[in-house]
Amino acid sequence: MSAFRAFFQKELREAARTHKLTVMGLLFLLFGIMNPLTAKILPEILSSVMPAGMSITLPAPSATDSWAQFFKNIPQMGLIVLVILFGGIMSNELNRGTLTQLLTKGLSRKTVVLAKYTASALIWTAAYALCFVVTYAYTVYFWPTDIVHSLLVSSIGLWIFGLLLLSTLPLGGVLFQNSYGCLLLTGGLVVILYLLNILPALQPYNPVMLSSDNMALLTGQRAATDFATPMIVTIGLVIAFLSTAIVVFNRKSL
Amino acid sequence: MDILQINHLQKSFGTHNVIRDLSLSIPEHAVFGFLGQNGAGKTTTMKMVLGLIQADAGDISVCGEPVRFGETKTNRLIGYLPDVPEFYGFMKPVEYLHLCGEIAGMSAKEIVTKSEDLLSLVGLAGIRKRIAGFSRGMKQRLGIAQALLGEPKLLICDEPTSALDPVGRKEILDILRQVRGKTTVLFSTHILSDVERICDQVAVLHDGSLALCGTLEALRQQHRQDSLLIEFASQVDLDRCRFASALSVYFENAIITDTTAILRTGELFKAESDVIVYLAENHILPVRLEIQEPTLESLFMEAIQ
Repeated sequence: MSAFRAFFQKELREAARTHKLTVMGLLFLLFGIMNPLTAKILPEILSSVMPAGMSITLPAPSATDSWAQFFKNIPQMGLIVLVILFGGIMSNELNRGTLTQLLTKGLSRKTVVLAKYTASALIWTAAYALCFVVTYAYTVYFWPTDIVHSLLVSSIGLWIFGLLLLSTLPLGGVLFQNSYGCLLLTGGLVVILYLLNILPALQPYNPVMLSSDNMALLTGQRAATDFATPMIVTIGLVIAFLSTAIVVFNRKSL
Repeated sequence: MDILQINHLQKSFGTHNVIRDLSLSIPEHAVFGFLGQNGAGKTTTMKMVLGLIQADAGDISVCGEPVRFGETKTNRLIGYLPDVPEFYGFMKPVEYLHLCGEIAGMSAKEIVTKSEDLLSLVGLAGIRKRIAGFSRGMKQRLGIAQALLGEPKLLICDEPTSALDPVGRKEILDILRQVRGKTTVLFSTHILSDVERICDQVAVLHDGSLALCGTLEALRQQHRQDSLLIEFASQVDLDRCRFASALSVYFENAIITDTTAILRTGELFKAESDVIVYLAENHILPVRLEIQEPTLESLFMEAIQ
């Protein structure tokens, strides 16, 4: 246990000193501020750039628009930045050989995978929570009376989807031993999930729902219970990816 | 007791047989020089001892305990210094040793006192900058500190001096000399002078098995050829000796280059005294007269032929 704690702390210290923490914090804070702000001022911007004499009628912005920005920015940009920042956590160490000394000191390979995953998941969770809280605060401030449905379930769904992407990184690292291979595995997984989503029979189980149908949940087109099955599938996949990473890593010659 | 025992070890990568049949044992408190050409399998052997690479056949035991591939318990008895140790550049040396100590399960107090001792042993005490700014020599010294942190019974160093300048090499060898007596050292290299400086036993790995193994002294004795080297001041002096009837018997099989003659003989003592008597009687003063010892280089070259 002390080995896990020590290695976990090392991961957090690494994230802090290599500025990953700063990038994540600032970026997600920026998203948090931009989401409601964009929703609020977009109509004004649009009408101001219209040529004179032309007018455009847009519905008044609402809390839903603010959350639409949230559920667009995080999957499209936030998750990509997350995966790029943490894509090399495993492969870099294997490439450079920094793990060799620690493994020969009795650090178990399982601990390496789990501590790395826990640290990256914690940073993702903190950044995501920051973005959520800021968006929430501004949204309530701008549109105090607006009601959105199942906001918590919807945002937990997206958070779990982020955890799924992170769980592919240690596996990619031990399989390909370079960060491009890692990104390929993560990107490949997303592509496969989207391809599978073409089949209507699989849609109720597909983790993709957690990152794409958030607005449907907020506007009441989907029920919160629809998210339950993909959440369970996603958590199952996370466990499967991490276990596979441990098994593959254990058999690897260093 | 033998600290390290290797029996009939085999390892191949694809069709390439790196280790064919390697058996080796290292007694306690030895400084064991592990020699071999590049690619002879020294690193592979060491990594098998550490459980980082799986052996195809044979067994390895450290202090009587068997080594298993993967998470082997025997590693708590071993300190390992890779050929080019890699560190986390964002850490300071004290922080790195702290991480190593926690992973090895040492108590906080133990870590602090041991780290201080070791950092001053390797000359890094008081260095507060991050490892990213370290020179190769400093990294190598920190590597020794981390390897010695758990007070290992066996210290494995993989070519610790190969990448260093003469000053860095001397520092590493001095540190290794200081820790002999506390621990057994297995030290791979292809720098023969380093071996002569600190090792008491050597083994030469060639073609996947040991071509030579034993104490340096015993090997020298075994491979000693009775030969006498005389270097003359001039060609004239050499020829005078060469064609002298008293010495002609020794010069029959002599190897002569320029002004130097190497005499090979079964009776070294008699040959030497005959030569000295003749030189003295004829007032010939040689530049050099010596009984040739086999050098490690000649032993090594002979072993890998």
